[in-house]
Amino acid sequence: MWQRTLGVAITTPSILELKALFNLLSSYHNMPDFGGGQVTPESEWEPKLLGFLCRWCSYAGADLAGTSRKKYPANIRIIKVPCSGRVDPLFILKALRLGFDGVLVSGCYPGDCHYQTGNYRARRRMAITKKFLEYVGIDPQRIQASWVSASEGGKFTEVVTEVTEGLKKIGPNKLFADER
Amino acid sequence: MNDRETEQGLRGQAKALLEEGKVNYIIGYEPGSLKFTTTPLITKDKDSVDRLVISPFIVNNLSEYLTELKGRIGIVAKGCDSRSIVSLIQDNQVKREDVVILGVPCSGIIDLSKVEGLVGKDRDEIDDIVWEDSKVTITVAGDRKEFHIGEVLFDNCLGCEFSIPQEYDILLGESSSLVVDKATSREKIETLEAMSQEQRWNFWEKEFSRCIRCYACRNVCPACFCERCFVEESEPQWMAPVPRWQDNLMFQVIRNIHVAGRCTDCGECERACPMNIPLRSLTKEMCDIVDDLYHFKAGMDKEAAPLMTHYETTDPEDFIK
Repeated sequence: MWQRTLGVAITTPSILELKALFNLLSSYHNMPDFGGGQVTPESEWEPKLLGFLCRWCSYAGADLAGTSRKKYPANIRIIKVPCSGRVDPLFILKALRLGFDGVLVSGCYPGDCHYQTGNYRARRRMAITKKFLEYVGIDPQRIQASWVSASEGGKFTEVVTEVTEGLKKIGPNKLFADER
Repeated sequence: MNDRETEQGLRGQAKALLEEGKVNYIIGYEPGSLKFTTTPLITKDKDSVDRLVISPFIVNNLSEYLTELKGRIGIVAKGCDSRSIVSLIQDNQVKREDVVILGVPCSGIIDLSKVEGLVGKDRDEIDDIVWEDSKVTITVAGDRKEFHIGEVLFDNCLGCEFSIPQEYDILLGESSSLVVDKATSREKIETLEAMSQEQRWNFWEKEFSRCIRCYACRNVCPACFCERCFVEESEPQWMAPVPRWQDNLMFQVIRNIHVAGRCTDCGECERACPMNIPLRSLTKEMCDIVDDLYHFKAGMDKEAAPLMTHYETTDPEDFIK
């Protein structure tokens, strides 16, 4: 299930079923190499970023980054989705609830969607989710979106680096902890 | 507004609709068992339409029942309720030809808890509440007190822009002026917006620690019409059934995202909440976000596509990397 490319794990799960997705969310969090299940000292803390990448563009872009031997932070764990339009705001909230420090949703550029309109719908959904969560009190940096095409391995590394750096600045996600 | 005349007109129309067989049911308001309150009346019987009332206390959004009844329905609707009905038509939950909307112009609904707060007495001890023009006279033990009407209306009524229903078949009574006080209507939200992110999160943690997850907010919401709600899913189980604040808050956030573009700020969720959680501070903010981003107000045009199933190529995307 785990392939190692330049120290960055990329998964090839079949996650068409919600249950599988849910299990993945939980199991990612409990992966020992991801700091799950054990208390990491504050100094060694590394952000945990969950990426939902569209199967047609961004996932291929991430793959290209790997095959082009580009380096990007190993903080991201990737879930392949059929389309960015598949990403339910519930997935984002659930990921934050499970302790991920940030979520990145990435899809095809507007007009490039394999299903014609999926990314346009994702765009609306992400816009209201981000604004609403900011109002509730979640740092908008924790919820990120990007357009990465299949040829943009370079852009993928840039986005992941930028998002990871941002997460390092705002610190660990303690939102759902009882004691903060 | 002259409620007595509107009421007589409504009873006549409702009776005629039932007698002519144009509708199977009439949904309206009848006097409640507690003083001043009204309760929904759903009837097939043409004699019971004489129990129908129109008053400044017809608080409930009756469109909730449209998805639960079969057949043609005559429904009493205020401005906000009619928007909920239009929203249900947009979402293909209700067919326009299956509803006869008995539109009632509305100048706002009186919040009995605000009245209680003003006079410091329980509603049982209040003798009379009379609304004339912009004044409301409250009589307690023979003692008459006058207040400005803006002080006793519901917060959402103070932000309302639509006295006349958006969609109706029969309009009862004449249009009446609205008491608009946008500042009071958004007061709680602005207090929250002035806080830091962390303070806001702490605020909601505190509020949702009280939540008992009774789902009254969801059940009373006309925009929440899913037959199976995500909170009841067991595979995967998105949320633990135990009402912990984390899951309570997550439930409410997702519920608000689900009803984005459908919520008409009718305020039923907040009124239904037995724990007095200020839910309208979430729903109203979502309405504002939607209006701000997409210039969309829920339930305005029955031909319009629902917000979240629709898109424009020019939608804002400045947040996308």
